[in-house]
Amino acid sequence: MGLIQKSSSNQELRHYRGNIPVGNLYTAGIAGDRFFVDLRDKGRLLGTRCPSCERTFVPARHFCEECFTRLEEYVPVPSSGTVHSLTAAHVDLDGKPLDPPHVLAFITFEGCAGGLVHRLGGAPGQSFRIGDRVEMVLKDRKKRTGGINDIEHFRPAKGSRR
Amino acid sequence: MPRRVAIIGVGATVPRPVTPELSYRELIHEAAVRAYEEAGVEPREIGTFMPCTEDFYEGISISDEYSNDQLGAVLKPVHTIGGDGIHGIATAYMQIATGLFDTAVVEAHSKASNVLTPHHIMNYAMDPVLNRPLGENPLYVAGLEMSRFMHESGATSEECAWVVVKNRRNALSNPNGAFGAKVTVHDVLSGPAAFCPLGALEMAPPSDAAFVVVLAAEDRLPARAASPVWIRGVGWSNDSPTLETRSWARALYAEAAAQRAYRMAGIRNPARDIDCFEIDDTFSYKELQHLEALGICDRGEAGKRTARGETEIDGATPVNASGGSLGCGHMLDATGLFRTVECVRQLRGEAGQVQVKDAKTALAFGWRGVPTTSGACVVLGA
Ligand SMILES: [Zn+2]
Repeated sequence: MGLIQKSSSNQELRHYRGNIPVGNLYTAGIAGDRFFVDLRDKGRLLGTRCPSCERTFVPARHFCEECFTRLEEYVPVPSSGTVHSLTAAHVDLDGKPLDPPHVLAFITFEGCAGGLVHRLGGAPGQSFRIGDRVEMVLKDRKKRTGGINDIEHFRPAKGSRR
Repeated sequence: MPRRVAIIGVGATVPRPVTPELSYRELIHEAAVRAYEEAGVEPREIGTFMPCTEDFYEGISISDEYSNDQLGAVLKPVHTIGGDGIHGIATAYMQIATGLFDTAVVEAHSKASNVLTPHHIMNYAMDPVLNRPLGENPLYVAGLEMSRFMHESGATSEECAWVVVKNRRNALSNPNGAFGAKVTVHDVLSGPAAFCPLGALEMAPPSDAAFVVVLAAEDRLPARAASPVWIRGVGWSNDSPTLETRSWARALYAEAAAQRAYRMAGIRNPARDIDCFEIDDTFSYKELQHLEALGICDRGEAGKRTARGETEIDGATPVNASGGSLGCGHMLDATGLFRTVECVRQLRGEAGQVQVKDAKTALAFGWRGVPTTSGACVVLGA
């Protein structure tokens, strides 16, 4: 049982390429469906309230991860929130540089558990900080498909001057 | 009382950015040969095997089916772990401590150089409805986490950069330190931007390596085995996987994993009771965040203590004396086993130039990387 003798000649090294097309469908589920239908048709964010924890989760979800209660009380929540954290992505999914960088944030909504990861936008050169108030900008009604990209981005909330 | 369990042999290949001369199975075979040699056993004498593997990074469907022959485990009980190498150590510990087996082998490896589309694979781990349609590089998750961690802990960019300076310098003195370098805080901060505030030089580059660890019960130590290193505590835990409900500032998964391991090992004050730490440093801030989560530093203190040199090899709490992932490379799900093996070398006094003086107790902590909230911890004793 010895160690194998390794090749040190580049000429002898071989490699073979492989790839498969990976395709899947994903269902949004009971709560996800209500969330996205409401977003598309009414242009608002829907949460679900947990009666035992007295918390409202955004986006709406079917169960409470704290107490495991099934959530059935759907409530609309205000579509302006607060920047909880943010980053500027200088690299895209293929590893190529992004110029200008894409600004992404985790946005929380007052009185709610959870939040949304989304793009931040606004005037060119707009800068953002943790704690900034932002509001949701939707695509035109006709262009909405019932998905997370029905939200164009979040921009500085009206009247929120630092 | 469950049986005491020891690591009696480790085998590893030297981490490198590429390994074109070996197939991934030959890489594992090499580590296995070294491990069995140290443990003084033949694979046919081993009771149970725990390979750790993940299909997409392997590029092979049902990759767990391809784990046994290069380990000498054909027609043996094999229990594949879809997790970090330290999850494998915990499973091996349980299978021996319960008396089901007397000996076990844990294997984990990285052939990251074979992976042509790592960010796409990582993106396929993101929520397909809420997050993936944004079409961004999923490493933005690290940028979001770093921002909030810095905001709440008060850690500065300079303090994060110190982690890179220290770990890459340590790697210069470690034969396993593929990315050893002398860099300054200024070099790190003026490097290319990646996911601000996270810079490109604050992200561990990938490397290839394989690790095999042989474990045995105290009452069944092979006569020829290397001096035993005891498993004193194990713990593992996950925060909520959803981006929407996880903690962005704190590594709660690490807090929960460490508490379990400390309780089992009888550790009250980790900074005092543990001599050296090999903990996840996939990104610069992660070392600081994990130091606080593991209770080694008070909240808000990890950056300051790092900048003061307290986590250097000769400091009060040596952290990643090996060079960690920033200095030796990130090895996918083998990263935790790499840290475990570095701890074993420390406790045996075999760590050469990166040896921590009088190391009697060591801690290895692994995190499974973006976008997971999965942490596993092992406390080892000489
Ligand atoms: Zn609840």
